[in-house]
Amino acid sequence: MNRKKEQVVITVLGANKPGILAGITRAIADSNVNVEDVSQKIMQDLFALMMMTDFSTANCSFEDFQSRMQTVAEQLRVKVFIQHEDVFRFQHRL
Amino acid sequence: MLFSLEEVIETISAVGVETFDIRTITCGINLMSCADSDVHKCAAKVYEKVVRVAHDVVPVARKLEKKYGIPIVNKRISVTPVSFLAGAFTEPTAVPIAEALDKAAKELGIDYVAGFSALIPKGITRGDQILLNSIADALCCTERVCSSVNIGSSQAGINMDGVYRMAEIVKEAAERSRDKNGLACAKLVVFCNAVEDNPFIAGSFMGPGEAEAILNVGISGPGVVRAALQNSTHLNFGELSEVIKKISFKITRTGELVGREASRMLGIPFGIIDLSLAPTPAEGDSISDILELMGLEKTGCHGTTAALAMLNDAVKKGGIMAATYAGGLSGAFIPVTEDAGMCRAIEAGALNIQKLEAMTCVCSVGLDMVAIPGDTPVEVIAGIIADEAAIGMINHKTTACRLIPVPGMQAGDVVDFGGLLGKGPVMEVGRHSPALFVRRGGRIPAPVHSMKN
Repeated sequence: MNRKKEQVVITVLGANKPGILAGITRAIADSNVNVEDVSQKIMQDLFALMMMTDFSTANCSFEDFQSRMQTVAEQLRVKVFIQHEDVFRFQHRL
Repeated sequence: MLFSLEEVIETISAVGVETFDIRTITCGINLMSCADSDVHKCAAKVYEKVVRVAHDVVPVARKLEKKYGIPIVNKRISVTPVSFLAGAFTEPTAVPIAEALDKAAKELGIDYVAGFSALIPKGITRGDQILLNSIADALCCTERVCSSVNIGSSQAGINMDGVYRMAEIVKEAAERSRDKNGLACAKLVVFCNAVEDNPFIAGSFMGPGEAEAILNVGISGPGVVRAALQNSTHLNFGELSEVIKKISFKITRTGELVGREASRMLGIPFGIIDLSLAPTPAEGDSISDILELMGLEKTGCHGTTAALAMLNDAVKKGGIMAATYAGGLSGAFIPVTEDAGMCRAIEAGALNIQKLEAMTCVCSVGLDMVAIPGDTPVEVIAGIIADEAAIGMINHKTTACRLIPVPGMQAGDVVDFGGLLGKGPVMEVGRHSPALFVRRGGRIPAPVHSMKN
């Protein structure tokens, strides 16, 4: 049976340094959240990463996932934003 | 990828840097089923119904904040005008209803509950009388209850007996809350052409034409508009309007999303989204700052009314397409103490109460959060209310007064109400008396609706 997708956008912003992508994706994998698309840029020295994920396979609640990711972000000294894709769809697409 | 990195960062920085938020989710609740001739029995029914219907409003709002990463600052309740219930009370007081509403709000974690209201554009019923006599007491013995009274309309004219009575009540509420600088008046609005689906405090109430329960949403985004206009000096008016419309679309769209989802989760129909720009005392979250970015040296200088008219209109044009159902007060608010930029303009001598009055002709919603000297006579307050009501009546728009005659303070003193209500200068009012005019009694007849000049 097809599980209904629940698309969640994960955005990471911070000073560029080695290991950010590795640390973030490991935490996402630990929660069994599936990464579907990745876009990453270095803007001047700012590391900007955006991932489209499917949350429907997750092994935890949305709130728990947010706090797990927050902990990892603090260790990596970056900012992480985890938002349902609807908020971007409503603002940027007709 | 579905969205570009730039789009995602734009959404994130609107919240993080430009103080965008959903100002309020307001749950309207019809209280007619709580009618009882015994005010205490009625109060118990009101408490039970409000707690039952709005039980999940705060938890759902918190869930949505996390889901979308957008703060929902206030969770509010509006109810049927309490004067509708008061008509049946044997004991001539409605204060127990206010206490029940306050208790329910505290129980649920609701910020404000509004609808301790009466609609008296043409006449005053027994229920209205009971409510009016209870307002000062109710506002002083509760924390979260707000009151509003509609004293005029384009259809009925202006009930000048109601205007004078409201001026007395404003004075009384200020005196009774002297220890808090007249704070009770910050919870009291006098309207002309009040709307039935306004989600904003303090003038919200659940109109008799609404459903059993309804969810209305108010947004807030002056900081986002300001950021968009940051580098706009080279734009002509058409281009400026386009920028504002686009931003307004995006912020309203977010309100639409939150409203739809909250409605689905709560099982309460989504009423309207209020196409609003609501400032806060936070630096940069100011309507005045936007007007100054549009090219005014100081808000209040000549040109301010035109700038505000254009801003207000562009906000609506952008927002209307984003909303399935627009309603409420819809427009840019100019509450003085809640807008740090407005306060600076007053302190600089650029903005006075006469110019504010002119500005209210083209925006939402009236002389809002205006602190005036504590010794302002009742007749002058009645004159101010009547002037605002006349603007609303003639122009078919909602206007209102939320005046705070701050006890013991004079023009130029600074009053601090705390939190979202902000702080600002006490404004000078006219010194000459309209006493004879406002005491004539009766109504200003309904205006002609043709021959528009």
